[in-house]
Amino acid sequence: MENERNIKNVGRDRIVERDRIGIVLYVVYLLTLFVAVAVIVKVVFIQKYYEPEPEIVRKLTPENTRVPVYPERGRIIDCQGRILAISCPIYQFGMDCTVLKDSNDAQEEKIWLDKAKDFSAGLAEIFQDKSSDDYYKAITEARRKGKEYIKIGYPVEYGTYRKILSLPLAREGRFSSGVYADRKSTRRYPYGKLARRTIGFVRDNESLLSNTHIGIEGKFDYLLHGEEGEEWIRKTDYGKVRNNDSTYRKAVDGKDIVTTLNIDYQEIADQALRSGIEGQDDLEGGCLVLMEVKSGAIRAMVNLLRDPDTGLFEESKNLAVGRKAEPGSVFKTVTLMSVLSDGYVRTLEQTIPTNGGVVAGTKLARDQHIVDFERSRHTKEISVLDGFKMSSNYVFASLAINSYAKKPEKFIQNIYSYKLGEVFDFDLVGLASPKVPTPHDDDFHWSDTSLGSIGYGYTTEETPLHIITFYNAIANKGRMMKPYLVNGPSVLSSSICSKAVADTLVRALKAVTEDGTAKRLKNAKCSVAGKTGTSFGTFKNGSYQDENGNRLYQGTFVGFFPAENPVFSIICMIYSNPTKKSFQGGGIPAIAVKEVIDRICCIDPHWRTEYKVEAAE
Amino acid sequence: MRWNISDIVSLLKNSLKAILKGEFLLRLNAGRYFIHIVYTFFLFGLVIWTSLMIETTLARVEANRVKLQELQIANVQKTYAVASLGRRTEVAKNLIRLGSDIQEPDKPAYLTDER
Repeated sequence: MENERNIKNVGRDRIVERDRIGIVLYVVYLLTLFVAVAVIVKVVFIQKYYEPEPEIVRKLTPENTRVPVYPERGRIIDCQGRILAISCPIYQFGMDCTVLKDSNDAQEEKIWLDKAKDFSAGLAEIFQDKSSDDYYKAITEARRKGKEYIKIGYPVEYGTYRKILSLPLAREGRFSSGVYADRKSTRRYPYGKLARRTIGFVRDNESLLSNTHIGIEGKFDYLLHGEEGEEWIRKTDYGKVRNNDSTYRKAVDGKDIVTTLNIDYQEIADQALRSGIEGQDDLEGGCLVLMEVKSGAIRAMVNLLRDPDTGLFEESKNLAVGRKAEPGSVFKTVTLMSVLSDGYVRTLEQTIPTNGGVVAGTKLARDQHIVDFERSRHTKEISVLDGFKMSSNYVFASLAINSYAKKPEKFIQNIYSYKLGEVFDFDLVGLASPKVPTPHDDDFHWSDTSLGSIGYGYTTEETPLHIITFYNAIANKGRMMKPYLVNGPSVLSSSICSKAVADTLVRALKAVTEDGTAKRLKNAKCSVAGKTGTSFGTFKNGSYQDENGNRLYQGTFVGFFPAENPVFSIICMIYSNPTKKSFQGGGIPAIAVKEVIDRICCIDPHWRTEYKVEAAE
Repeated sequence: MRWNISDIVSLLKNSLKAILKGEFLLRLNAGRYFIHIVYTFFLFGLVIWTSLMIETTLARVEANRVKLQELQIANVQKTYAVASLGRRTEVAKNLIRLGSDIQEPDKPAYLTDER
């Protein structure tokens, strides 16, 4: 019995215990259920009826910002793969001097200012534009006045940027130091001012100047620029993350442009022209173009114009492309090609009467060269070759008038067929349109002197590029190549003259450098064929001379080398300010061209190959 | 079988009572799907964890992108500096500075017999 009672008691205890656990669990369950219901009700309430404060929304919503992705601008490269223009970032440092100002206690503020002193010392050492004390004073002053931005130094490159970021204070980051840098992409030119006008630039849209696209940079901006992209950046607990969904548009980098320029030749040409014109106070500027005969590829294009403020020669205007003027005696080759092609002159030895240097039936000035020639040679006749060598205006005016007096249109037509009367599509904007008058022009008074003056290089207007293109065609046996810097090669005219005429012209041009007005080139390191030319610019009064007897000179040498098997054609043109000095084509231009030829001969593979063949023989 | 409103009321009443008693799921015999429920909750957890991992990785990608950009900038700067040194006059100056006798050639190069 006792045992049974004990068993019953144990059983009842267990049941009581179980009930107690059950109740506890039940209460927990009820609490959980209550919380769950409360959560559901709250969720429904928040979703349907709750409108939070905008500030709370802003702080709780992950920040999404649209960030433009800028493409990397393409590089400009020379024909041997050397970089002529490249985009590099620069950094402008600034400082928010109010950072931690309010939250710092006295001790912390002292530490901050001590670090600012070290930072100032570092800045003074790097920028070297102010003393350490000046920097420190500027920072503390700005901190006292509560300035949120002060500019630090000037824009710096990446290396200096890293150095500044490693200075005391700055290394603690933007939110502790207030130091930050704005990055901006700039265009850099490793070869400095060499070919700057040809390489060109693109000005900001904010520029007040309308001419914002210059040179290759400007013309090929649509390729170099690339395509902007965009991305959405959101802030997360782990940092900023880009949304890799359909909102992300990748930037397409700009394409590289390979030009025909050879920066070595460019430097040689630049130095040669500079050495000729620097020190000549009366010169306004000059240009020099080196072109490959077979392809028309421009290997060097130098344009130097005197800066009116500094007096130094700078690449500030593309004279070779944009400046047209009366070409002078270099145009006599055009006349010679015309009369040879039309059969009016059969050989260079053909003679014409000297007639005292006066072209009969015209008001053209007497040619003093002919008077001297008559006196020295005791003759009343002169060959076309002699006339060409001495660059006689009389001979070429006579040839033009004698040949085309009845049909001047034929001569003009020939000039147009030599592409000297029109603009062709060139890789740079701004190729000036030549001027070739015709007897029927409304805006030009055609007189008895017009034909003669065209014959020796006046009345027409040509750019240096047009002239070299013409001479290049002679070197290329009549095949006229279009000059190019990027897009090419292409042919402007398959034949502007017969090969026989081209050979005759080469002989005449070679005679000029051997025994004519360009004798300075006789001793060049390879044979040169070419022609000098000197013309006078017109003053506002319409005369070639001002009231003080000053003249505006344009001296030119144009030719090609080696004369027997031309590889390069070259033109050098100089322009003077009003002066009483004489600047002839056989002077500075011929000397500059000789220097270019001598140096190029030593480094161009063409001459190396030729030497090898000779050695093998 | 037609459902009356009183049936629905009594169903809701019974369900409520069952919920209060903690027997709702037992009455639905949800124990049979216990493993599925656990698995569903496991998947929820997995999704949350994966999402966090993705965010961490993307943040790392972003940080690396910044580093890569910095390296590219450094590379561009070096390229620019090297290109600047390639200028003929610059080379000549450096040769003189280094005490070299090499100068600009004064005649074309030729190939020697050893070739």
